[in-house]
Amino acid sequence: MALLLIEDNERLASLLKQGLERTGFKVDVIDTATDAAEALATIKFEVVILDLGLPDEDGLSVLKTMRQRGDMTPVIVMTARGSLRERVEGLDSGADDYLVKPVALEELVARINALLRRPGNLLGTALRMGNLTLDTAGRQVFIDEKAQILGARELAILEHLLRRSGRVIPKKFLENSLYGLGEEISSNAVEVYVHRLRKRLTDIGANVQVHTVRGVGYMLSEAK
Amino acid sequence: MKLQFNSMLSRIAAMQIAAVAVACIALPLALYFLLKSTVVSLEQQAMEEQAHEISDYLEHKDGQWRLHLPARLQDSYSVAYGRYAYSVQDAAGNTLFSSFVSGNPIDLDDPHSSSTYYFHLHRHNGNLYGASVPVVVDGVPLWIQVSEDLANRDVLVDDVVADFFPQVGWITAPILLLLLVIEIVIVRAGLKPVLIASDRAAKIGPASVDIRLPETGLPGEIQPLVHAVNAALDRLEQGFKAQRDFTADAAHELRTPLAILRTNIDLIADQEVAAALRQDVTMMSRLVDQLLNFAELETLVIRRDEVADLHAVCAEVAAYLAPLAVKQNKSLAVPECPAPVLIRGNADVLGQAVRNLVENALAHTPRGTTVEIEVTPEPAIYVRDQGPGVSEAERELVFRRFWRRDRRRRGSSGGLGLSIVSRIAEAHRGTVSVHNQPTGGAVFVIRFDRSTMVESGGTRAAEPAAPAPSPGRTPAEAHHS
Repeated sequence: MALLLIEDNERLASLLKQGLERTGFKVDVIDTATDAAEALATIKFEVVILDLGLPDEDGLSVLKTMRQRGDMTPVIVMTARGSLRERVEGLDSGADDYLVKPVALEELVARINALLRRPGNLLGTALRMGNLTLDTAGRQVFIDEKAQILGARELAILEHLLRRSGRVIPKKFLENSLYGLGEEISSNAVEVYVHRLRKRLTDIGANVQVHTVRGVGYMLSEAK
Repeated sequence: MKLQFNSMLSRIAAMQIAAVAVACIALPLALYFLLKSTVVSLEQQAMEEQAHEISDYLEHKDGQWRLHLPARLQDSYSVAYGRYAYSVQDAAGNTLFSSFVSGNPIDLDDPHSSSTYYFHLHRHNGNLYGASVPVVVDGVPLWIQVSEDLANRDVLVDDVVADFFPQVGWITAPILLLLLVIEIVIVRAGLKPVLIASDRAAKIGPASVDIRLPETGLPGEIQPLVHAVNAALDRLEQGFKAQRDFTADAAHELRTPLAILRTNIDLIADQEVAAALRQDVTMMSRLVDQLLNFAELETLVIRRDEVADLHAVCAEVAAYLAPLAVKQNKSLAVPECPAPVLIRGNADVLGQAVRNLVENALAHTPRGTTVEIEVTPEPAIYVRDQGPGVSEAERELVFRRFWRRDRRRRGSSGGLGLSIVSRIAEAHRGTVSVHNQPTGGAVFVIRFDRSTMVESGGTRAAEPAAPAPSPGRTPAEAHHS
């Protein structure tokens, strides 16, 4: 997995490279916009981490050039500019994520992984949390390598929760996905299936939990 | 007691009323004296003419003086009529002729003056007014005295003087008052540009330091003042911008060293040491965020067309902070509200306010409890926790910058969060307050003015959108001890 880190602060760049390589990524570091444009035109990277305050040109121009060229490589902007206007501008310019410094290494890794896992990016991957694994292609759930039986609706909900694990999925979103399964659904269908999913997860001994944010949605986390 | 006239108009009006009062008295008086002196001089002229007329009928014949008055004049000077009288004297003081019954009637100090001499005598039966006129008839100097009894003064003159006074008063007063009204209208019209400038000045605030007062159309007397004020505003704006930019720049510049520090800590092998250091960096980062936030809010202007769905704002915040809550074994809830509550406001900035309140609530609510975020059609947002509540004495203090309950406590929140909420509420014509629930626990309320409500046209969905990539660090990082 080759990452391109465009960052002009030498110290920060070397520390990030060190940290990311420890997690198993291969990292190339570039400190100017000109060099970055050149590298991006010749080499294919999995994810680009882009600082905006570059010495020669604004980082956003690198991003815009990439998108104009049709290069859809995921880009995470990582900058000291944190105002709302700047964030919106960054995302509008084609950034897939926008992080304001300082960023925890753990989080950066999680964001990179989230981008790599995106639907369409890598189909048929295994989604994992705790002792639970969901094979999105084979529509199968495993607890510690042992296959378990799960209803189609419960599995659909679990997949959504797993894809955005650690984040809240709006109830409406789950409701719409159930509609997608061609079902006549009642107003409390999501509650019903989440309840069943919870029960099933306990029964099969999964160490993950479905949390309810009443009035908002659901979130999956590892049980403590 | 000294009366104060603060408005220019009232000053002008007061001075004008005083002037009107003086004019009302002085003008008729002046007219009266003018009229009187005219009448007097006319009378004197008439008397002098009478004396000369009499002299025309005097004749010196054979050492004897004769007077042949025509019948017309004889009637005028008749004793029966009693109003006019005459006498003719020679240089020796002898009365040659007299209309008075008893010889020389007028006792004058200087009966033989060389020029016409007017006199005014007070007598028992009235005032005598008259003239002593030196004439020369047939080469002999004579003095003819003509008098008029003022007790029987001509009715016409009497009437004119007597009636003139009140009439002049009745005419002058309204005219002067009308002038006063006209003057007020003129002054008001003249001051209108000043009022426009005042309105403009009232709009100047920290978020709109670029406003200047209009300098055109102002009266020349006021223009230098307005010009000077504008120049002062220029200097203030510069100072203000420098201050704001400094805060923003300083906070911004702090982020890169913090990022280095943070990454360094993340690479430390000893996780126990790393955890403690991480907490410190998190706190510093948070403070930097808040400082930048504060600098940003100074220039916050809510556009007229911005509409925020309060329930959607709260749901989004709940979704954003839920991972932090779950991590702390706490939960969040946003009760459904029957109809969307829309207000004129900036959804992102309002989200910041709610986020600060919820973070504060999560910091105080015990494990295993729920923080509730409720939207009501007041319109208001309630954030309830199950913590110890806020004591009466602290309810104002918590919204102050850098206020902290326990100054010695390490790692408690930066102290800008709630003051940011207060500033955001203010920008939305709202207020933030805190009280305790009967069951314990604090309730923070952001109340908005009813006038900020927007009728829901159903254009915006009440439910939050699909999860968007959340900008900034994860909520798990943004919490305080």
